[in-house]
Amino acid sequence: MTARISRWYSPLLVVLVLLAGNNASAELSRMDDGALAAVSGQGGIYLSGDISINEMGGPIQNSYFGTCGEVGKKCGARLAYRLREDGGWFVLDDIRGSFSFEGLTLRVRHIDSGFGGDGELFNRDVVELGLPNVVRYHDVHFNLAASNTARPTDPGFQQTDLFSIEMQGDVMLEGNLLVFPTGNP
Amino acid sequence: MSATDLRLLTCALCGGLATAVPMVSLAELQSLDDGALSSISGQTGITLELELNAEMDRLSYFDDGNGIHLENVRIGSAIDPDTGAFHKIDIDIDSNGHLNLGYLVTDRRIEFSDVTLDGTPGVGMGGMFFDHNLEGSLTLSPGGALSADGYTFDSSWTMTGGRIGYRTNGNEVFLDDMSMSVDAPGVTMDAVAGGLLFTAPSVTGSYNVGAIRYSNNPLNHGVSADVTSGLALPSYGGISGDFDLSSETTIGGGGRDGEGLRIDHSTVINSANFIYLDDGNPFALKGITGNYTIDDLRIDVTTDWAGREALALTATSLSGELNVDRVELGAAGNSLGSVNVNFLFQDHVFGGQSYTNAVYLQGGGHVDAGPQGLRLAAQWSLSQADLSYTEDGNQVIFSGLQSWGQGDVTVNVTRDETINGTRFFDGLRIGFEGLKGGYRINGLRVGDENAPLQGGTELLLALGFYPAYEFELDGHITLGAGGASGEGLTINSDIQIRNGSAALIASPYDEGSGEISQQGIWVTDLDYDLHVRNMTVDVTSDGLAIIKGEAWSTMDVGNLRVGDKTDGASFGRFVLQSYETGSSMTISPGGAGTVCAGGVGGDATTCAASGGVWEDRGGEGVTVSIKQVLARAVDATRRNAITWESNRQLDGAGAPINDSGMKLVLNDIHTSDGGDFDGDGIDDNTFGIQTDIAVDVYQTRVVKKTDGADSQGVVGNRGDEKILDASQPAGYRYVAAPTATDIENRPLGFAVQAQTQFKELSVNNVDLVHPTGGTQTAIYGVKLQNFDIQANLTATPIP
Repeated sequence: MTARISRWYSPLLVVLVLLAGNNASAELSRMDDGALAAVSGQGGIYLSGDISINEMGGPIQNSYFGTCGEVGKKCGARLAYRLREDGGWFVLDDIRGSFSFEGLTLRVRHIDSGFGGDGELFNRDVVELGLPNVVRYHDVHFNLAASNTARPTDPGFQQTDLFSIEMQGDVMLEGNLLVFPTGNP
Repeated sequence: MSATDLRLLTCALCGGLATAVPMVSLAELQSLDDGALSSISGQTGITLELELNAEMDRLSYFDDGNGIHLENVRIGSAIDPDTGAFHKIDIDIDSNGHLNLGYLVTDRRIEFSDVTLDGTPGVGMGGMFFDHNLEGSLTLSPGGALSADGYTFDSSWTMTGGRIGYRTNGNEVFLDDMSMSVDAPGVTMDAVAGGLLFTAPSVTGSYNVGAIRYSNNPLNHGVSADVTSGLALPSYGGISGDFDLSSETTIGGGGRDGEGLRIDHSTVINSANFIYLDDGNPFALKGITGNYTIDDLRIDVTTDWAGREALALTATSLSGELNVDRVELGAAGNSLGSVNVNFLFQDHVFGGQSYTNAVYLQGGGHVDAGPQGLRLAAQWSLSQADLSYTEDGNQVIFSGLQSWGQGDVTVNVTRDETINGTRFFDGLRIGFEGLKGGYRINGLRVGDENAPLQGGTELLLALGFYPAYEFELDGHITLGAGGASGEGLTINSDIQIRNGSAALIASPYDEGSGEISQQGIWVTDLDYDLHVRNMTVDVTSDGLAIIKGEAWSTMDVGNLRVGDKTDGASFGRFVLQSYETGSSMTISPGGAGTVCAGGVGGDATTCAASGGVWEDRGGEGVTVSIKQVLARAVDATRRNAITWESNRQLDGAGAPINDSGMKLVLNDIHTSDGGDFDGDGIDDNTFGIQTDIAVDVYQTRVVKKTDGADSQGVVGNRGDEKILDASQPAGYRYVAAPTATDIENRPLGFAVQAQTQFKELSVNNVDLVHPTGGTQTAIYGVKLQNFDIQANLTATPIP
């Protein structure tokens, strides 16, 4: 089974180039905007905005889910999955919060120069996700739990909340995420 | 307009010629009193009254020995086929030498049962009928626009109680309850070197069609109610409008080969309005202006590229521009915005193959639908077009649209039945057979047509429109009459695309130095099967409502490539299967309106206090509400699943062999309401995934992400804001601290306010499939519940 999985992953090689100073540098070195002028396929889009999840609650109203003002009910979203046919369920519960970003870019780029000489050897097209410099998290929250049923409304439902995670503040995300295929398609 | 005048001439000449037709029976002549006579200038005229009932077995036109024939031509009463149509024609010549005709026609039907060609025995294009009452006048004066040898026509007429229908194999689609008024003074006719020149300086008028009806009962022929049941025939809706045109037309002899006709024509649309009404709810195109020119249209009876005899219409070029000031939808008359399109159809080479613009009309339609129908063997070449959308004064131009292709389009009026294994549905069937073509867009321009070309055409993906597409298309779309309630459309469709390639992201095909290979992300080696049953389309008081009865599709992407569409590196094969029941979509005018972007608050002060930016995105724009009900799997075809296959074996030519690699399968993805609340033993599934999207074209803040020069050589520092400035070579500059004036010149993009909700979304199992080792389940179920995701996003094209 292990061999099969590694074989399955091999066609896709994802190179993550995080150029923040405190990150470990990848082999490809940084390109400035001027260097980009020499590469083709420049067109793309620039995305900014904010996304929130269950800020006021979700669409289900029952004994388990409710609005965020209701005592004893959860207003967040819930994700459950299981790895064994008759096993229990891993749960991310009460997921809510929001985050905002400015300047996420998407384009296709041909790299055949730069990166300290690696680009010339590389010489191929990549999908470039230009990371926004800052992602702001506001009251992002979820619980990690284990449950015996997928739905909290199923008969005999039991759940053990293991721990909670809350995220607040800014996360620096600089540089580009380059995605390209390798191997047999 | 010349066509109108020809029709009037025909009307008048019919009256005159009718006396020579042996089958005419004269009605009782009535005397004119003095009062009536006093209204006729000159008082030297005559009045003709007659009942015209004329029949011809065949009316033929021959071009280089090839004949096209109207079969069973009849002019007579629309109500009673055994009686004639009443005609009254007053004729006089006034003191200035003008011939004045006043005419009244009641209850007239002009029809033919079929159109046939010599070379295609046994099949025809179908029949047509035209019912009407007509009242009007025509003055013929000596002297044209160019010389005294020509003629001038002043005409005015009103048609009421009209019907125009198309009939194949006993089924009909027709415009019912038509009325129309036209005033065309000063139309001139002159003989010129190329033929006859008709000039119409002003053609104004209005029209109304009460209903567009469909009949599948062979006993019905030009009636509003079914003769068997007595019920009103179903309606697609009605239309109305008005127009103010001027035009010039030259008609001469000589086809593309040998005999034939040549037509050169131009029209200026000074103003026009068009309204489609569905149960009284309008979809309106208001403030239409524009022009078009047809250059060197030739009409021949000849053969197409496959040697099939046809009536050929071939043109050297068709060009023009069309502006619609307001696209209104719904009872309140709110506007989606304005659109403009300019276009040039002319010969062009695409992919090394030369394309022209030609339509070859043939009889038969779909081979299983019966002997009558229309087959259009078509080739098109759109060498250049720009399409712009403007809302609240902000304009985005999709620049450099090109399209090309060749293949057969069939048209039949069909009924719900299966013939020779082919399933037909009630309605007007438009079929596609071996249609091979494509289109591409060069890029976006924002602000005006002189703005620099930018990327960002992938923004169209949100509307289900690929920036570039090549395809081989077969299948049909059948437009039935009647919507979810009352008037409207019911659509049944089966579409197959083979050997397709479509861009998810594409760079320009021409950056100003000639055609280049487009780079991007491509779905290639695409096979796509799409089936729709009983999808209704209605204009409601709120907007356009689309309800899918049952829809399923399989999109098999042989290779997802990056770079070039033919030899770019591939991520592998992706198969997306979709199966929906009861899904719906509503499109409404008006975007997000006032928005607190990045914050919370119902006014500017509260919004700013929460850290947001208060934006007024105006009254125009588009709001789309979508409900997708993902049904549980029924069989291997009708299910929701995603398959990714890679590491496939290669054949002798180096092409990957499908189903020979490793697969990841997300199987039986479906929605649910979270339980069985109606007690039928099956989880309820009515909520689905509900998404509301409001889209506006709006200014957005774009900041520089690194110090130095950017890809266009414009220098700025990280964090500087991009400001549009036409005086700059690149069309913009970077500003550290933008002024209020600068902020008014921020780049335009698409502002999207979206909310997605679902109660429950499940994946039954996630499998890993080895080509010889079989399937192993990795995840035994995924269940997502109670999601409400809201987003305020702006997407701006960048160079």
